[in-house]
Amino acid sequence: MSTILRSHAEQLFAHELEELQKQDSGRRPANWKLTPQSVVTYLVGGILKNGMEITPKYIGSRRLMEISVATLTTDRALLLYGLPGTAKSWVSEHLAAAISGDSTMIIQGTAGTSEEAIRYGWNYARLLSEGPSERALVETPVMRGMKDGKIVRIEELTRIGADVQDTLITILSEKTMPVPELNTEVQAVKGFNVIATANNRDKGVNDLSSALKRRFNTVILPVPDSMDEEIDIVKRRVESFEKVMELPAEKPALEEIRRIVTIFRELRSGVTLDGKTKIKVPSGTLSTAEAISVVNNGLSMAGYFGDGQLKAADLAAGILGAVIKDPVQDKLVWQEYLETVVKPRAEWKDIYRACRDLA
Amino acid sequence: MSIHVLGIRHHGPGSAANVRQFLENLRPDIVLVEGPPEADEILQWADHEDLQPPVAILVYQGDDIKRSVFYPFAEFSPEWQAIRYAKRNNIPVRFMDLPVAHSFALKNEEGPKEETETKEQLPHPMETMALAAGFPDHERWWEHTFEHRRKNEQVFDAILEVMQAMRASDLSRHDREEQLREASMRRIIRQAEKENYKEIAVICGAWHAPALTDMPPQVSDNALLKGLPKVKTECTWTPWSYNRLSYRSGYGAGIHSPGWYEHVWNYPGDDGSRWMANVARLFRENNMDTSVAHVIESVRLAESLAALRGLPKAGLEELNEATVSVLCTGENVMMRLIGEQLIVSNKMGQVPSAIPKPPLQVDIEKYQKKLRLPASADWKDYLLDLRKENDLERSVFLHRLQLLGIEWAQRSEAGGKGTFKEQWRLQWDPAYTIEIIEKGVWGNTVAEAAARFVMAEAEGAASLPKVSQLLSATVPAELPEAVEALIRMLNNLSAASSDVLQLMEVVPPLVSISRYGNVRKTDAAMVTDIATGIITRICISLPNACNSISDDAAQTLLELLYRMNDSVNLLQQPGTTAEWQQMLRMVANGRQTAPVLAGYSTRLLVDGQLLTEEPLVRAFNFAMSQATAPAVAAAWLEGFLKGSGTLLLLDPQLWHVVNNWVATLDEANFNQVLPLLRRTFAHFTHAERRKLGEKVKQDGGEASPLPMETNFEFDANRAAQSLPVVMQLLGYS
Repeated sequence: MSTILRSHAEQLFAHELEELQKQDSGRRPANWKLTPQSVVTYLVGGILKNGMEITPKYIGSRRLMEISVATLTTDRALLLYGLPGTAKSWVSEHLAAAISGDSTMIIQGTAGTSEEAIRYGWNYARLLSEGPSERALVETPVMRGMKDGKIVRIEELTRIGADVQDTLITILSEKTMPVPELNTEVQAVKGFNVIATANNRDKGVNDLSSALKRRFNTVILPVPDSMDEEIDIVKRRVESFEKVMELPAEKPALEEIRRIVTIFRELRSGVTLDGKTKIKVPSGTLSTAEAISVVNNGLSMAGYFGDGQLKAADLAAGILGAVIKDPVQDKLVWQEYLETVVKPRAEWKDIYRACRDLA
Repeated sequence: MSIHVLGIRHHGPGSAANVRQFLENLRPDIVLVEGPPEADEILQWADHEDLQPPVAILVYQGDDIKRSVFYPFAEFSPEWQAIRYAKRNNIPVRFMDLPVAHSFALKNEEGPKEETETKEQLPHPMETMALAAGFPDHERWWEHTFEHRRKNEQVFDAILEVMQAMRASDLSRHDREEQLREASMRRIIRQAEKENYKEIAVICGAWHAPALTDMPPQVSDNALLKGLPKVKTECTWTPWSYNRLSYRSGYGAGIHSPGWYEHVWNYPGDDGSRWMANVARLFRENNMDTSVAHVIESVRLAESLAALRGLPKAGLEELNEATVSVLCTGENVMMRLIGEQLIVSNKMGQVPSAIPKPPLQVDIEKYQKKLRLPASADWKDYLLDLRKENDLERSVFLHRLQLLGIEWAQRSEAGGKGTFKEQWRLQWDPAYTIEIIEKGVWGNTVAEAAARFVMAEAEGAASLPKVSQLLSATVPAELPEAVEALIRMLNNLSAASSDVLQLMEVVPPLVSISRYGNVRKTDAAMVTDIATGIITRICISLPNACNSISDDAAQTLLELLYRMNDSVNLLQQPGTTAEWQQMLRMVANGRQTAPVLAGYSTRLLVDGQLLTEEPLVRAFNFAMSQATAPAVAAAWLEGFLKGSGTLLLLDPQLWHVVNNWVATLDEANFNQVLPLLRRTFAHFTHAERRKLGEKVKQDGGEASPLPMETNFEFDANRAAQSLPVVMQLLGYS
């Protein structure tokens, strides 16, 4: 086993990508490693003609993946939008891996991301000694992606300052990056495109200017559709976490996961699962990723401080932490939920007591 | 002589175009269309210029209007195109199907068993075909295979073959009703043959096509159709709407997107540009900036999506997805607008005014006759005594009409005591006929239409006060189904509402329904559950709502608190009462609570025997203590004494506390609190005020110590022993 903490998608799933490429028969857009149909198959999983199974990378709507891939075949860039924890970066990594065979052309957007990080920088030692020249130019992932015709990923686009964001406009509409210092330009090779991700819950981010917005097709990744889908995701991720952390606690019962997912889904959607009663919605996002961390947290609690069995009491603190983000408003919401929904459920007595004791 | 069977999908624009083209090439001398044979006579209206689709043929059982069936037609319905073709070319057109008279009679025999249930459980016969072709559902398969097809040679032959194969593989569907229907269709075709028509065009649902092509011997059909029961039916044209054509209004054989179909019908060659241009126009009308570039980009994305999915042409789904992605920046909110305005579209048809009456009108006239409430242009007053059966029925009827928005009857306040009287003024206006036709889409009887209309209105309003108001209007109309739906809606809305005042307004009517069983068939337990649920919510958020509010807001809340308390007491649920009292304690002791509310809560605790004697005096003194600003103290007192001065008269401890407090006020403070005190005491009855005044006079109005009740034994011997000393001190030795 390699000692790398986390491998890239194209390394982890090299086998699947290779096999898909072999089976591929349709027409590929220029510089794409796979046909659009195969990219979709790679993302949502399926069985190839030779019987090989492709594991699903994204559990959810196939249509959304189709829209994403179709967008990348047009000359518009793709913006993946959604709550934190809805697999935006995950999808973008796998899209890049499947289309270009390379998910490493990435820029992490922060408030401090400068124009040089997106366009190009200078190697100042060379610049001083040789003057402006191609050799003194420091290429960014965007520039390399344009030259090689690859997919470039920009994470958290909205965190980048508005003025810096707008440098993307020319790149996306004219597909060229001028370098006035050298009186030259870099024209994008076919196959170049941009996948950006942004989340729609954070405050204090820089909204895209409408000029830039127009260069992107937006796909909103939703929270999981059905109960079973979400349980499936939580279970898979918790199991992989257990392996990494070598936790002493026993594997969580499906029942416990089901309860967490139920609570999260109900509070998120504002209605009980049977659809009969409406509930107030707390201010937090309550994403699937948070449900996963509540279960992981509970497992650690049970393993190190409890009796090794995941119990309601181990989970209660995590749930409270995830739900109550605003100490006044959310507390009322939670109290109401506890009293009107959790309390009447006969088999939920333990979790009701555990949560009430904490509150 | 030949018979041409054209298998179609009802309301398929592609099918309609094919039918029209086919008929124009064939030039038949008679057209037979799937539909109720009873309606043949009203087909004469079909080319009337005032008859604008969407319209529907309504067939109903004369003596039981609830038994009815609609056959809707849109401009793009193949049946409609066939009828219009026949009328244009002056050739006969006839409906063919099992006469509704028989199918109603058969259903009546079956009893109230729901026939839809069994049908829904079976998968659609075309599902297998769709799956084999790689489509997720049969609708999309059919749409892309037949409706969106541009070249149409032999399309009807293809459909026939597909259906033959499917019918052969699936015999389970040939239930009796279907056999009867197909036998009837064949009978009508044979009749046309007998009348020596040469070219017969038959337009029917695709599923029936094989049964009409390979005809079994006439004898077996005749045997099948012999001796069927029959009822008397009536039929008429009614205006229809696209909204009612869509699935959303619960019409079984409907279509998702009438507006889109109309677009496809009008512009069969559109690659999506025209549709997207419409979308862009709609967005601009709603103040969303949409450029031409947007339109271009979305058409492109829709085309790439279609290519990715291996479709020849972008359909509605691809266009919608492109709209969301390109125009709406991924948000679905605007799609609802597109859905309402373009995909479904709110087009309404019309029918000539000379056409026979709709069933709702018939039902209203029936009641007017039965209840002796004639429709006259002059107004007339009625005083109804609800204890009499006829008057009660009249009241229910009038309430229902009011719910429907037919303003025939105006209610005014009835004089005298008691709730059993209602005063109504009735005045008929011919314009109501239009209203009635319009409301006819909600149901065929007043009760049914009123119930559905109220439910739809409540769903549209989705605000607590409105729903609560509708609920109180619906209760006297005796519509248990609607009341139940409204109560459930109320519950959901109350859960989402953070406005305690609204919640508090909702509770009293709910409690009175649950206590007095105002609605006979409503499940009282359900109402009680919901009422207690709402009270719990109120208990959680009320203490906060009482904090730091203005005097006016406090007065409103005081009134609500008063009514809420009555309701809680009326409900007599120990758990809820305990919760309520707990909440009252919190309000009474809250530091930030508006004083008038704190005072009233304290008083309610006293009434409930939860605060007595010592703690009561302590609480009163605390609220009235010197450190409290006089205005605050007076407000507290107002709340505390709300509604009754008797408490003050009968409780000597309290009397003294209050009396002492007033007496110790200095002049400036007294002037300040005087108006507030006056307001408090003004609410008392005259007798109470007089008694209070007498009591003050009698006590001299001075500050006096709290009377102590002394009750110990007097020891005369010991007292006698002290006498000499006392005498000595006084100088009497």
